[in-house]
Amino acid sequence: MSPTIHVQQLSKTYKVPEREGGFSAAVRGFFKRKYKEVKAVQQVDFKIEQGEIVGFLGPNGAGKTTTLKMLSGLLHPTDGKADVLGFTPWDLKPEYLRAITLVMGQRNRLSWDIPAADSFLLNQAIYRIPDDEYKATYKELDELLELEPLMKKPVRNLSLGERMKCEIAAGLLHRPKVLFLDEPTIGLDITGQARIREFLREYNKRTGATILLTSHYMADVTALCERIIIIHHGQLKYDGGINLLSKKIAPFKLIGVMLAESNSHDLSKYGELVQNEEDWDKQYIQVKAEDVTRITSRLLADLPIHDITIADPPIEDVIEQAFNS
Amino acid sequence: MQTLKLLSAFFKMNVQMSLAYRADTVVNILLNIMWLGWELLSLNIIFSNTETLGGWGLGELIALLGVFRLVNTLMIALIWPNTEKFNQSIRDGSMDYTILQPVNSMFLVTFSRITVWRFWDLILAVILIVVGINMADQVTSAPQVLTFILLAITGMIIIYSLWIVLIALTFWFVKFDNNVTILQALLDAGRYPATVYPVWLRIIVTFIIPIAVATTVPLQALRGELEAPQILTFILVSIVSFFLASRIWKAGLKQYSGASS
Repeated sequence: MSPTIHVQQLSKTYKVPEREGGFSAAVRGFFKRKYKEVKAVQQVDFKIEQGEIVGFLGPNGAGKTTTLKMLSGLLHPTDGKADVLGFTPWDLKPEYLRAITLVMGQRNRLSWDIPAADSFLLNQAIYRIPDDEYKATYKELDELLELEPLMKKPVRNLSLGERMKCEIAAGLLHRPKVLFLDEPTIGLDITGQARIREFLREYNKRTGATILLTSHYMADVTALCERIIIIHHGQLKYDGGINLLSKKIAPFKLIGVMLAESNSHDLSKYGELVQNEEDWDKQYIQVKAEDVTRITSRLLADLPIHDITIADPPIEDVIEQAFNS
Repeated sequence: MQTLKLLSAFFKMNVQMSLAYRADTVVNILLNIMWLGWELLSLNIIFSNTETLGGWGLGELIALLGVFRLVNTLMIALIWPNTEKFNQSIRDGSMDYTILQPVNSMFLVTFSRITVWRFWDLILAVILIVVGINMADQVTSAPQVLTFILLAITGMIIIYSLWIVLIALTFWFVKFDNNVTILQALLDAGRYPATVYPVWLRIIVTFIIPIAVATTVPLQALRGELEAPQILTFILVSIVSFFLASRIWKAGLKQYSGASS
């Protein structure tokens, strides 16, 4: 059987207008535009079989969204081929569009001022879903996502997590065979993220749908996907099992320390000091995962600690370390 | 059939959206009642003082005004709100979802928003047309009335096509919020019979800018001033312009998918 998604040498180059800052440059730029070519995706190849959940991982600007948009049909590639369910996505055949869905965590498809239930009904009309089928699908989604209490409120009154549930449900009413999910958990709190993950796993088990999801959160991917594709600077860097990957990526943890007094203590003897611009009142050290407990207890014993956190390093850093060295 | 179902779904949704905010709804209803009163008053003033304009009789002028109002309703109830939504969707990226729906995107973009409050406008326009035809000096025969209706429809199609072209330009320019302002300016020129304008302007208005086509030409058909070849030409023009517009729309979509990120 041929794979559900088959991508060959897929490439996308954008032309981005570019100019220097300043007034005269703005005037010159009006008459004569300069363009810079940005290679967003370069010769990417992969195959995904029916029923797989594949995690698409990479830092911001790596080309994840661009690839997803090409596979859903929104973008024409500059070069290369893609085959999804036997269709070329960018032909935008209605039969193709009825078989897939694209959910983007940062965009809204639901109308802001009316309850989601009304937007759902519009989707039913657009996708020509027969009444009984619509009811069955809705019931199933409601079971998994607990939609019912959210359906009667205008979308603008929902919390981010609640809205995301409705957005995902709206994208699944037509029972797509292939799901493209772009950062479906972005901005959600830990429980919200866990709930969406739980749902996706269960949905995949029940329907056998193929899922390709991008995420910023390592946890999303480790929880859901057995297989991972890593893309960095538009190039495919890794395609394989998650277990192999964790061997390749040295498992590090980040310990954040806020001292009760001044920051005069030298933390570099406990581990490698790491810059973190977002959280300036803490100092961060990077240590091997197996040493976390030992070093944390030493820190607690040695220093006047006000607050301490242990976290995974940002995915950008992990990939940078694994593939740039 | 599917199209009708979708249209009714859009209409329902727009009614729901208009009713979402209570104060807003009340103000809208009041405003529209006032508006209607004002329009009827101004009609009364025009027709108590004017008998003919550019060689057209009172009945024909009333019918002309009706057709003009029909076009205007199209403008206010459909073109303005959908363009506004379209311009916004290009910038905030929700256009992506529109493109991925298994329905003609041109149809989705042009019919998904309907200003339901202007529905009475449609009724008023039809009343004006019917009254005008009945008052017209020349005895109008059934075929003349039929060609009038036919040409009013072709006129609408030409305006619709022009609109599509204007909004499709946004795909290339990203920001082109004046797209409808241009159309409105062109349309306002169609308020008076094309014959009141100097010849050169009439040529522009009739041929280069086909707005008068939507208002004056149907009326000429009503007066029996048009020959069969002319009528056929207008029908042909509307078909060609619609065809061209959908081609330009498709090219625009392709441009969008080539440029956006």
